[in-house]
Amino acid sequence: MFDESLLSRLLDRALQHGGEYADVFCERRRTVSYRLQDGRVHDATYGVTLGVGIRVVVGESAGFASSDDLSSEALMEAADSAALIARTAPSGKTAAAELRSENVPNLYDCDPVTAIDGARYAALLERADRTARRYDPRVVAVNAHVVDELQEVWIASSDGRYVRDCRPLVTLGIQAVATDKKERSSGYVGDGGRTSIAYFDRQTPEMLAEDAARIATVNLSAVPAPAGEMAMIVGAGGGGVLLHEAVGHGLESDFNRRGTSLYSGRVGERVASELVTIYDDGNLHEERGSLNVDDEGVLGQHKVLVENGVLRGYMQDTLNARLMGAQSTGSGRRQSFRFAPQPRMCNTYMPNGDSTVEEIVASTQRGIFAKSFAGGQVEIAKGDFVFMVGEGYLVENGKITAPLRNATIVGNGPDAMRKVVAVGNDSRLARGHYTCGKGGQNVPVGVGMPTVKISSITVGGTQT
Amino acid sequence: MNDARAIELACEALELASAAGAQTAEASVSIARRFHAEARDNAISKLEASTGKGLFMRVFRGGRKATLTTSDFSPDGMSDAIRRAVAQADQVAVDEFAGLPDVVAGEAVDLALFDPRIADRDGAEKVDDAIKLERLIREADARVVNSSGSNYTDAIAVTAIANTSGFSAVYSWTRAGRSTGPVALDGGVKRIAHYGTAGRYLDDLEAAGSVATTAVRRAVDLFGARKPPTMRVPVIFERDVAATFLDDIFAAASAGNVAIDNSWLTERTGSRVGSELVTIVDDGRLVGKLGSSPFDGEGVPTQRTPVFERGTLRTFLYDTYYGRKLGAASTGNSTGGGIGPNNFYLEPGAMSLEELIAATPLGVLVLDTIGFATEHASGTYSRGARGFFIENGELAYPIDEFTVAGQYVDMLANIDSVANDLQFDATVVSPSFRVSELMVSGN
Repeated sequence: MFDESLLSRLLDRALQHGGEYADVFCERRRTVSYRLQDGRVHDATYGVTLGVGIRVVVGESAGFASSDDLSSEALMEAADSAALIARTAPSGKTAAAELRSENVPNLYDCDPVTAIDGARYAALLERADRTARRYDPRVVAVNAHVVDELQEVWIASSDGRYVRDCRPLVTLGIQAVATDKKERSSGYVGDGGRTSIAYFDRQTPEMLAEDAARIATVNLSAVPAPAGEMAMIVGAGGGGVLLHEAVGHGLESDFNRRGTSLYSGRVGERVASELVTIYDDGNLHEERGSLNVDDEGVLGQHKVLVENGVLRGYMQDTLNARLMGAQSTGSGRRQSFRFAPQPRMCNTYMPNGDSTVEEIVASTQRGIFAKSFAGGQVEIAKGDFVFMVGEGYLVENGKITAPLRNATIVGNGPDAMRKVVAVGNDSRLARGHYTCGKGGQNVPVGVGMPTVKISSITVGGTQT
Repeated sequence: MNDARAIELACEALELASAAGAQTAEASVSIARRFHAEARDNAISKLEASTGKGLFMRVFRGGRKATLTTSDFSPDGMSDAIRRAVAQADQVAVDEFAGLPDVVAGEAVDLALFDPRIADRDGAEKVDDAIKLERLIREADARVVNSSGSNYTDAIAVTAIANTSGFSAVYSWTRAGRSTGPVALDGGVKRIAHYGTAGRYLDDLEAAGSVATTAVRRAVDLFGARKPPTMRVPVIFERDVAATFLDDIFAAASAGNVAIDNSWLTERTGSRVGSELVTIVDDGRLVGKLGSSPFDGEGVPTQRTPVFERGTLRTFLYDTYYGRKLGAASTGNSTGGGIGPNNFYLEPGAMSLEELIAATPLGVLVLDTIGFATEHASGTYSRGARGFFIENGELAYPIDEFTVAGQYVDMLANIDSVANDLQFDATVVSPSFRVSELMVSGN
């Protein structure tokens, strides 16, 4: 669809006024989705994203233009637009190297969807609906969606890299709403990965729907969350949102190159309790955040971010790596061809520690157990974060007691990481349904974690 | 020129849909030229300029609906995508409420949504706009040591909608904005603040000097911030934070959430929810405002809809589908695929924010929050926050790393003062207001 000679000509054109680096990102994405509400399939959507993004890098500056018109005139015009940066920020001339086609590994099975078997998607949703309603009569509504996406990319850069990749991504999301006339609550569970829809033969809609219904009904008897500082136990899997917000974003290289992150210039320093080790991994089999190659054509990699509490490195894209004298870590990602890449996380997780969950709970006099998070956000300069607890419980005298209603946790990244006092031996990745937003761009990511205890954190409830 | 092109593409899509077996269909095409310049350290660091097109389409066959979005306007690409979407409708349940709207916009109304000055603005001038803002934040205060960038953005666009009942209409719009993120060094702590302005007209934008001053003040005023004590106190939400609260009120008032039992406002229509001071309006007809448009995403004329009047919930906000389902008329809030706000705002009061602070013996002023609502069924509000502790009607000391929490329903009922500082610099906006009692959680 996008041949090498066209990409070569676009790179030459992009560098017409100079620049140190240029790349061309071509994308064709097809998305099939179905949505269920009121017990029936309510909507079906077909989506196509097709276009080309062209970027020219001059020192710390980047020019970018995209086109959804694939005529060579329109693409050349986009290259001209991107090239304007080299007039604003003049630099020496670079010639684009001859393109060499590179092979990429395959972390995901990828059979391009040619025929859409609509009945198969509809059946997944209907099974989820039936299961959630059967679980408990207090479940009054089920909303579910299934998305099957295939993104093909062709990436060429002025240093001669030319790669193709074909990335599947499936997601099944189920929300159960429960009410007992007095209270109303909901539970959400999502799962998926970079694989085919057959994934849900293993992770069945029944398993997921039952969990969504369980959370919704448990939350009906939830008590208002406490307010103030106390211990927090973070649950295995979904607790990884904590790492993503509290540490991950602060280790993205754009913030560090610009010196706006609190972790800037601190590689080799102690930034967390020595129990804390954090990896970001682009090449885990079939995981939602995995990439054979990133959106700059660089191989997905295993990165050690923090090791025994010591900061080891940042997540790099090519632009920031070049300016920091480092190598790209395969972390350059973009939402679509309409956006320039940014350094981003892939699958961020903490490996196993030595404690058992039982020991961790038994050691906690008063606190909360955040089994999963429904989302979070961080401000990277000072490192303050919040996250919203999806499923949480009170911990009293070493025992898990009442479920908690909609608690929010607020803290500071390095402070929370210094207060990690126990790490469990049950590390796993959360079900794949997380999407990370940064600078107006959304990308799929994975998170993971063993059960972890933080000695003190602020819980934003309403009860003193 | 793009007006005609957008209508033409929408009509082509309708023909392809009919050929693919759709009985009725609706096509919306937008063509937008977007520009973004980011400056850092007195130099341009990012320059983006692109024209993008998008087709959004709904096709109906035998009471079943499917939806299509595509950026592929090649003849083969368009017909293939439309054929697939029409075929996908087969798996959808027959739904008596699905279909084209009964009422569509008639005569064109001019809401003054297009500023030719933005359309004609020279590229170099736009770049200078960003560079000037970046220079101003650094000049404003010596403690500003860095920035996450200063930006100028604009968009010049047309939106066209056509359906198989013979409706077609188009309007042009512009939007521009400037924003900045100064970083100030507070001992060993970096403090960043974000502030910006946006509007349909260049002249509606807050001046660069004022944007810079406000952004820098928000960073340096927080120097030495500490956690407040955990307590119940009156809380003032400054207008930008108040607007994020209104986002959540909009979500709960959206018929799409009400219909799927995902709103704490369900079954509250006609009842008193908020205090006397709570009048919340959705208005798509305000001249020259960011949330205004002559018609919504399915061609239904926009209107002024009071959602809360003096505390009483009058109506939810509907598109055609959820209107039919819940027995109401569309309020002109369709985005095409869902329900969205026009200009959604809380009516302002008479006093200034300064007067409101002075009238608060003990309390908290919230200047910024992080976090967002993840579900609307239970109606619990909880956010991470920063701002000031108020003592004797004065800002006593800056505070951060705390949360503010309560139930939306109590918060609306406890709004006891609304300020006069409403500005239409986004689609969902609010003046600052005070809630008489809320849980603040810190130490």
